[in-house]
Amino acid sequence: MTDHTAPELPTADDIRSLVRPDHVHRRAYADPAVFQLEQERIFSRLWIYVAHESQLKKTGDFVRTRLAGHEVLVTRGEDGKINVLKNRCPHRGARLCMADEGTSRLFSCPYHAWVFRPDGSLSSVPHRKSYPESFDLTDPRNHMQRIEKIETYRGFVFATLNENPESLVKHLGQMTEVIDNLVDRAPDGEIEMADSSFTLEYRGNWKLHMENAADIFHPSFVHSSSVMPARRAPANASILDQDQTREMLMANGFGYDEWEGIQLNGLAGGHTYMKNFYNRGVLSHQQEDPVIVRYRAALVAKLGEEKAAQVLGMNRFNNIIYPNMIINAQYQQMRIATPLAIDRTLVRIVCFRLKGAPDEMFHRSVRFLTTLGSPASMIFSDDVEMLERCQQGLAKDEGPWVDFSRGLDSDQRDQDGAVSGAASEMPMRVQFQAWVNYLTAEAA
Amino acid sequence: MLDVQTQRQIELFLFEEARLLDEGDFEGWLKLYEPHGIYWMPSRPGQTDPLNVASIVYEDHGILSIRVQRLLEERALVLTPMPRTTHMVSNIVAQTAGEAEFRVDAAFVCVVHQAEKQKIYSGRHSYELIRAGEAFRIKLKRVSLMNCDGVHTPMAIPL
Repeated sequence: MTDHTAPELPTADDIRSLVRPDHVHRRAYADPAVFQLEQERIFSRLWIYVAHESQLKKTGDFVRTRLAGHEVLVTRGEDGKINVLKNRCPHRGARLCMADEGTSRLFSCPYHAWVFRPDGSLSSVPHRKSYPESFDLTDPRNHMQRIEKIETYRGFVFATLNENPESLVKHLGQMTEVIDNLVDRAPDGEIEMADSSFTLEYRGNWKLHMENAADIFHPSFVHSSSVMPARRAPANASILDQDQTREMLMANGFGYDEWEGIQLNGLAGGHTYMKNFYNRGVLSHQQEDPVIVRYRAALVAKLGEEKAAQVLGMNRFNNIIYPNMIINAQYQQMRIATPLAIDRTLVRIVCFRLKGAPDEMFHRSVRFLTTLGSPASMIFSDDVEMLERCQQGLAKDEGPWVDFSRGLDSDQRDQDGAVSGAASEMPMRVQFQAWVNYLTAEAA
Repeated sequence: MLDVQTQRQIELFLFEEARLLDEGDFEGWLKLYEPHGIYWMPSRPGQTDPLNVASIVYEDHGILSIRVQRLLEERALVLTPMPRTTHMVSNIVAQTAGEAEFRVDAAFVCVVHQAEKQKIYSGRHSYELIRAGEAFRIKLKRVSLMNCDGVHTPMAIPL
């Protein structure tokens, strides 16, 4: 974005005026100036997930991703350290690397052949003698731009453009528990990102997706077209997946009893999660199918009976780490929503292998990924349609307020934050409270 | 080399499949599949493993029948309004693959029109077919979408 077209950023008072206890103004979703401020105050200041260490095992391994409007390469350097580098040649500004991931000991610009090491330093330029005497290979201005603040929590690599951030662990707060839980589920104590994933783009604001992931009221309506046929279909008609797909589709059509059993939790900093989801079928871990029996035995051998039961007992769904990361530990799933514009969002959906677990456990994660995250998903495609319709409606100035009042009178607090029943819109209120706090905070 | 008559029968079978999809006769389309027939759309070029690598679709008759029933549900949001499609199949080459079985490769283009949007999909189909009297049944249909590993928007109608 060039300066002469940059919108004037909203003031703190302006931002505060957009969020009431029970309503949010449509500008939060539709105003490009708000998007610009979010990029500066949320996506440049908070810790943002950029890669998993299992993608960066050896020197030269790299992943291409996005950080606050920048395209970055996350690399493993010759010294073993992880680097986050803007994917741009400092010579003429060309994008350097076009691969999504891979291994390269050197990154060479195809234009005039400046060659960089995985830590972004300049290794060589051809025809050195034609550059002026003052030209210095070691001058950082001739290096790929580095993002200095990088922290890793149990294999998850985060970065921020904030030069003075709070620690990653402080930002994650209690959400470290869900990352711990995901890793602890691996009998060998390590997880590995699968080498398949899905990337979807929708025409809507990024917050719509994060709200939808914390919204347990919509599935009965939005997903009825897959719930109904799944209910009518005979059990175990598929020979591929032990009925996993059918169970997942049916899980969105809970009865009131199951629904009432779901608890929503909201934490400081805007993180939210829901407790007790998928209590039936092959995903439940309750049943004694041979894969679960073998998996549990492997975990018990490593952790002991008590700790293993504790790890497997954590039943939290859609753990949302503010601003844009969603983890489902028990199915080894992760989503990252990256805003591209006020009305465009990229969603990347991946899964992990639990090292030391039976192969079939991983096959179930892969099936989970397809069922919920594929572009042909019978579930997510209807979500995306709804997110886009919201954006289409919010783009027009016809009744400026969005209602988030459900549950306002019945929400409770415990020592960790807000707690509510499934019907409440508490998670969205928690997200927007954090949103206001971040957007109105002075320079960090 | 397959005899011209069988090649022609197979071509007509593929055209019939395309017609059923374009006319929204999804139940008729599902009837073309063997009871354990599989519809597979990989997420990676050259993908050979459907278990350790996620697929866009990897469904047998049991799951496909749920998908088809959903396509007939009035409430499917992604189907309002119902997309219109043109499934084009071309460059069809069939070979025998055992007793009354055939391997078929084809190129496809599918144009999907819905509301203000029009999308184009293309790639290659490969089939394993079994002869069933005058007609054929699909044991496996693999849809190798050209942009399978790209950035996607929701897909509703089978390709």
